[in-house]
Amino acid sequence: MAVGSVATQGRTVQQSWTRTGIGSWVTTTDHKKIGVMYIYTAFFFFLFGGVEALLVRTQLAVPNNHFLTPEQYDQVFTMHATIMIFLFVMPIWTGFGNYLVPLMIGARDMAFPRLNALGYWLFLAGGIVLSASFLFNAAPNAGWFSYAPLTEATPGCLTQQIAAQGAQAAAANAATSAAQGLQGCFSPGQNPDFWIVGINLLGIASLTGAINFVVTILRMRAPGMTINRMPLFTWMMMVTSFLLIFALPSLTVASALLLFDRHLGTHFYQASAGGDPLLWQHLFWSFGHPEVYILILPAFGIISEVLPVFSGKPIFGYTFIAWSGVAIGFLSFTVWAHHMFAVGLPPIAQAFFASSTTLIAIPTAVKIFNWVATTYYGRIRFNVAMLFGLGFVAMFLIGGLNGAALAVVPFDYQVTDTYFVVAHIHYVLFGGSVMALFAGMYYWFPKFSGRMLNEGLGQAQFWLYLIGLNLAFFPMHILGLLGMPRRQFTYPSGLGWDTLNLISTIGAFTLAFGTLLFVINFFWTMTKPRTASDDPWDAFTLEWATTSPPPPENFKTVPVVRSRRPLYDKKHPEDPDWRHEH
Amino acid sequence: MSAVIERTEVRQEHAEPKGRGFGWYGMVFFLASEAVFFANLIASYLYLRVRAGSAWPHHVGYTEIILPAINTLILLSSSFPMHFAARGIGRGDRKALTRGLILTVILGSIFLAGQAYEYTHSPFNPSTDIFGSVFFTLTGFHGAHVTFGVLFLLVCWLRSLNGSFSKDSHFAINAVEMYWHFVDAVWIVLFTVLYVFSLPGI
Ligand SMILES: [Cu+2]
Repeated sequence: MAVGSVATQGRTVQQSWTRTGIGSWVTTTDHKKIGVMYIYTAFFFFLFGGVEALLVRTQLAVPNNHFLTPEQYDQVFTMHATIMIFLFVMPIWTGFGNYLVPLMIGARDMAFPRLNALGYWLFLAGGIVLSASFLFNAAPNAGWFSYAPLTEATPGCLTQQIAAQGAQAAAANAATSAAQGLQGCFSPGQNPDFWIVGINLLGIASLTGAINFVVTILRMRAPGMTINRMPLFTWMMMVTSFLLIFALPSLTVASALLLFDRHLGTHFYQASAGGDPLLWQHLFWSFGHPEVYILILPAFGIISEVLPVFSGKPIFGYTFIAWSGVAIGFLSFTVWAHHMFAVGLPPIAQAFFASSTTLIAIPTAVKIFNWVATTYYGRIRFNVAMLFGLGFVAMFLIGGLNGAALAVVPFDYQVTDTYFVVAHIHYVLFGGSVMALFAGMYYWFPKFSGRMLNEGLGQAQFWLYLIGLNLAFFPMHILGLLGMPRRQFTYPSGLGWDTLNLISTIGAFTLAFGTLLFVINFFWTMTKPRTASDDPWDAFTLEWATTSPPPPENFKTVPVVRSRRPLYDKKHPEDPDWRHEH
Repeated sequence: MSAVIERTEVRQEHAEPKGRGFGWYGMVFFLASEAVFFANLIASYLYLRVRAGSAWPHHVGYTEIILPAINTLILLSSSFPMHFAARGIGRGDRKALTRGLILTVILGSIFLAGQAYEYTHSPFNPSTDIFGSVFFTLTGFHGAHVTFGVLFLLVCWLRSLNGSFSKDSHFAINAVEMYWHFVDAVWIVLFTVLYVFSLPGI
């Protein structure tokens, strides 16, 4: 049993601390090492998914392009999204959370150190399965949400098709095989199988991580750190973990039923045999919409740490930010069918899902107002972390507004499956999650490594990112309104799409250049000695109360907390926060 | 009261606070996720059934339900020895533990044997129609959970023969008990929606 006795577990942890070299990483159960491994691996996949984005944008740069074949294009755009969502953003938040949550709450490690290590290795296995699909020329190619019946293949349908073609001999032209494809042979290849297996490995990994975070946060806080004194990043990791615990099963069920349809002859998504392809959409999106918040809530948490420190003020409206995160968590389970307005839902369902989707804008806007108010009258320091933080607020606001537009059903009809949706998701995920990631990266890098990233290169990266993402993604709004469908491998000229696509491609390469600057910055910084101080930003929270990087046991002594800003209290004994709290 | 982050000489151990252990909380959240998993399966079934309306195929009659009904009683009754086993080790009674565990294993295995009999004698299979798909998928996932539970119980039983558990150290027993009761509870719901709701006239 995983949890034997505390003594055995303590010994295991102790052993893993004293090991060095590669073995110390492979066998580690230390939350900081596991966190770093998550971050490295996820960042590798960020580069991998980024190269795929460049391939997509190169293909779309000019009309009638044949840089990629349609088959390659399908694999590349599907894997771009799958990798960025499941192998980059989700695990990088797990990495940040792993490293930071125990430090922020004054704990020594996560609640289940060995389960934590298992989660990382399952994540790596899922990443390898998904990436290996390219070697078999069978990368998932039905889009990241793998809609049935496109992903269906009844067993034996391929052999039937071949037999039919043999019988018809010369008559077996493209038209007949296409017609037979409609009878259940949509995806005869292994592409969806790679997706199902990879996604489920990643799902189990995420579930172990989520359970670990929840128990850690609920049960391991330092003395005095009540729920209402937890750093907001910890709050958001907790809400995210609850979302994972309750949302992942929908994805597991959806993909299991698909697997059975494909290989065991069941009929769940086959309308001709009493199934229903819409079942896939309901199941997938009842995971998929909470998933959007799984990708963005930790970003909210990071911004709620970075903005106050660089504004020299406590966060404005702590309670509102914390509980609006909880509200978003609950609401995120009630909005899934806004992804399905165009499939013909009953009007009452459309009205419900349009309303609930609009409702979710309220807690989100609450956060934006709080962040802006945090900077109000602050002594703002424009370090790179702060620039990314402010950039996040502006860009995420655009992503929120165009998202709210999609909640309007008649408008949604018009832009469903066009580039407008692509614009929205990229303002949320690039303008939101990625900007927050770099805010957090520049902020915590000294804690992770004992070294400060170069601010000059960081500034250049920030401006390349800000300009690049608007060049890449803003024109997509217009392309969507002009009717350009997503997921088409090329387009004819003369539809007014040419210039906008070219601008978007230039933006994508600008982003790539910015990313390159970060990679250079990273390697350059890592060659330098560890000179960062324990608290280089004059911060407020406990992770800065220990050394940079922290010792294996995190804190030499148990920290005792009396307010939301324990480190501020320590540095300002003449006027600590707890004097003002009741 | 100057330093708020007080320096004490006590090193923080990876110790659990008083009350329920980490493992108990971990199990609760794991089983919560499992419950949502089965809820999704059942919701999928009900969705398909409502969408199909009168076209929904029926295979369960009053004779077909006798065997699964007996099986249900067997699985439910297995919760008692499980409960007494866990109660026993809570008092430090290793005999009660060993006896309770093996009795639970036997009852769980009888349930699985009954399910195997039902599967091999079924007039329909997963590809016959949509009811076949639903029936075998839902009972199959549950059966897989029972199988895992029986194996988990067997391991605990073997360890209990070696005296691995004591009054103060028996988390695995608590975990397997929670898991077993959960699997029982899921079966009650599955039996109701799959068999009882499929009877003619219901
Ligand atoms: Cu959504």
